Amino acid sequence: MKFRAKIVDTACLNHFTRVSNMIAKLAKTCTLRISPDKLNFVLSDKVANGGVSMWCELEQENFFSEFQMEGVSAENNEIYLELTSENLSRALKTAQNARALKIKLTNKHFPCLTISIELLSMSSSSRVVTHDIPVKVIPRKLWTDLQEPTVPDADVSIYLPVLKTMKSVVEKMKNISSHLIIEANLNGELNLKIETELVCVTTHFKDLGNPPLASENASQDRNSEQMAEVHIDIRKLLQFLAGQQVNPTKATCTDEKRHCS
Amino acid sequence: MCDERQSVFGKAIQALSRISDELWLDPSEKGLALRSVNSCRSAYGCVLFSPVFFQHYQWSTSVKMNDTDIILNLNCRLGMKSILPIFRCLNSLEKNVEKCKIFTRSDKCKVVIQFFCRHGIKKIHNVCFQESQPLQVIFQKNMCANTLVIQPRVLAEAVVLFTSSQEEVTLAVTPLKVCIKSSNEESTDLTNSVYSEMFVGPDEFDFFQVGIDTEITFCFKELKGVLIFSEAIHAPIAIHFDFPGKPMALSIDDMLLEANFILATLADEPSRASSPQTLCLSQKQKRSEPIHSNSKAGKNAASKVPEYISRKVELKRLYSDETPMNTSTLENCGSPLMKRANKDLTEVPESSGDISEVPESSVSDTEEVPGSPCLRKLREDTGT
Repeated sequence: MKFRAKIVDTACLNHFTRVSNMIAKLAKTCTLRISPDKLNFVLSDKVANGGVSMWCELEQENFFSEFQMEGVSAENNEIYLELTSENLSRALKTAQNARALKIKLTNKHFPCLTISIELLSMSSSSRVVTHDIPVKVIPRKLWTDLQEPTVPDADVSIYLPVLKTMKSVVEKMKNISSHLIIEANLNGELNLKIETELVCVTTHFKDLGNPPLASENASQDRNSEQMAEVHIDIRKLLQFLAGQQVNPTKATCTDEKRHCS
Repeated sequence: MCDERQSVFGKAIQALSRISDELWLDPSEKGLALRSVNSCRSAYGCVLFSPVFFQHYQWSTSVKMNDTDIILNLNCRLGMKSILPIFRCLNSLEKNVEKCKIFTRSDKCKVVIQFFCRHGIKKIHNVCFQESQPLQVIFQKNMCANTLVIQPRVLAEAVVLFTSSQEEVTLAVTPLKVCIKSSNEESTDLTNSVYSEMFVGPDEFDFFQVGIDTEITFCFKELKGVLIFSEAIHAPIAIHFDFPGKPMALSIDDMLLEANFILATLADEPSRASSPQTLCLSQKQKRSEPIHSNSKAGKNAASKVPEYISRKVELKRLYSDETPMNTSTLENCGSPLMKRANKDLTEVPESSGDISEVPESSVSDTEEVPGSPCLRKLREDTGT
């Protein structure tokens, strides 16, 4: 198993750092999946009652100037590593003004992801910083749990409002109730609602677009005014919103009878 | 004291607070010295503020005539818990306090700190102190083979690499490069901790002299304290060190103050890994006659000259003579270097006499062999 990659562009490095910070805020350990053309961060929190799972995909060409990998075997040309997400984000934090960043899979008594950073410094000699992050190689038999989740057929799909706004709204609601109801319809309307014995608070968002639906059949039967609703744990939603550092071009919320993604 | 000076004074106290819970206030004609020693005797800090630092500095000895004509100084030991909160909020200090006055009332064993704030507000803090002879470490910085002088900014960039839970770091030098890296004890879970290292080239140092290639390991927390202080006064830090086991010095020299932090380093040899050589501190009677009450007085005459103990001597920790040595005090030591010494010392008999005697007798045998400077603790009180 081999893996070497190099980032030289500052913007790519910053973006990669932000992705890693976002992961670090969501879960303590994450899985890194390395394949010939992409890098995936997978979190699967298999809690019975409303766990958060996340799948993040990065096209390696967009980030790395050099990328070489050799998977477990020829047929299974992938590497799955488990690591503490905070270690990676902290290591990347020191790479603020780096000239180059190299990531390698190494074996120093135990498998490590070695991050080697060449820093720009005032004087002629450059500074080299190295971090060895211990990782665990995930055996092939557990790979099936970590595959890309299929986005289920949705009743309603809607583009979210600016995440910062949504985050501040949800944060205030957290103090009142622990469950949030998200309602959305095909007319571009989204409601965030909390209900307690004493009070009921609803925030309405209008004129959000709806992405084209995958399956046409479902939508034709549906009245565009009709709201689909899901109940979710506020803290989990807040965790997701708080972690967002990457400014998305679009974020969709898909309501389906059992899942919200 | 005015504005930024108060902040510098406060930062000095904060840096010393990382070493221990007690602070000695030691005024003299050279200035006001603040000293701190940790309970394991593995770290010592001293910040000497010259009289010019203060707008007004007045010091007088109280000369007490007794049998031996010893001039007694203000031996003032304060609990860090009392004094640190006073100087903790430095930002508000800078904004609100116009003048700060510190004086002692030895008749009541109190140090009075007065803050004259804006709007006519006056805050007075009375801090009780205990009479206790301050300790002082004599360390020949100039005799160290390796000296590096570095700007705090560069060191700060290195310090950022390590997590706050990192206990020890290692500094490795060769004439070509310097490396600072994380150091892990055997007991830490290596599969979970990140190892980090940073190489710095010689030209990043203001002064670079490496006589011997060496690697020294010392406590990270204390380094951070010194770094914060040096950033506050914008002065470079000088690092003096030799071989592993010999204490290292971090010093900051400014026109108005001189700060020295002496830290123990981990000894290298595997046979001695469990009993790192530590600092031994003595009370240097700089202004007085040798103490006659001490049965080891014979050696006092030599106490003014720094003594060297050869590396072959197994140094155990010397304890504060106020309490008899017991192993329970060892357990409480925070410094990781000391925890390993514990294993050794539990086998040693309880009586403190044995412990302190070991190095004494060896000192008399070995003449000034170059090695780590070691200063013996001499007892002040008569109850030997």
